[in-house]
Amino acid sequence: MAGRPTTEGAPDIADHTRHADGTDRADRAAGADSGGPPGSEPDYRFTLANERTFLAWIRTALALIAGAVAVLHLVPLDWHTGVRLAVGFSLTGLAVVITVYAPLRWIRVQKAMRRDQPLPMSALPVITAVGVALVCAAVLLGNYWS
Amino acid sequence: MSHPGPRDSGLQPERTLLAWQRTVIVFVAVALLYLRDPFEDPAAGGGVDPLYRLAAVLAVVAAVGVLIAHLRRRWRATAHGLHDDATGNPPAPVARPWALVLLSAATAALALVVAAGAVLA
Repeated sequence: MAGRPTTEGAPDIADHTRHADGTDRADRAAGADSGGPPGSEPDYRFTLANERTFLAWIRTALALIAGAVAVLHLVPLDWHTGVRLAVGFSLTGLAVVITVYAPLRWIRVQKAMRRDQPLPMSALPVITAVGVALVCAAVLLGNYWS
Repeated sequence: MSHPGPRDSGLQPERTLLAWQRTVIVFVAVALLYLRDPFEDPAAGGGVDPLYRLAAVLAVVAAVGVLIAHLRRRWRATAHGLHDDATGNPPAPVARPWALVLLSAATAALALVVAAGAVLA
């Protein structure tokens, strides 16, 4: 796949005629490299920025998983079992929500950029912030109620 | 690394590749963290079966190995992020979309493995 000659690059932002040229896209499982038709290929820098944002979300999820590993598996805590499990499952649950949402968000942003539309709003930052705040509260509770 | 021809002055492909690299590193680090025995005395009981942990971690790290191979191949095929094809534009995205989905799935699987291990213990 890496050496395929029809591999598609991102044309300049002014090039809005590229997808009329009959490029063979049928064999691409995901539709296209960056969101698929319709619309025009966005500036490659925007596509790359979107990719990095996706990766940053994945690292956020991984950090939450690291916390869950510490609470559920690694560190001996003399917490109430219910609190320990609640903290661990909240962290893993948040991580799963983020990993489900991150690729969807990536493709939505990509489609919006292709159509030159405003970027869609995302509830994920609020969900993550509230979730982490609740986990912090549960950790405090666990420390004082054992 | 030095390359002929013009390159993106913002080094966007390189930055994206570095983002991939640190994501992969964090992933492997978290997987190894889960592989480690608990800090308490294992004779005290309560820990998850080490074989369960090893099998699960190997499964998710195998997916990351596929990603590493894909990134390396694609990075080389695009002249280190210089141009994806004859148009001369950098590759965007650096990895194919299926790689993004695979990374998400592997991360979700790791989270579920950690949660399931707590239930099994």
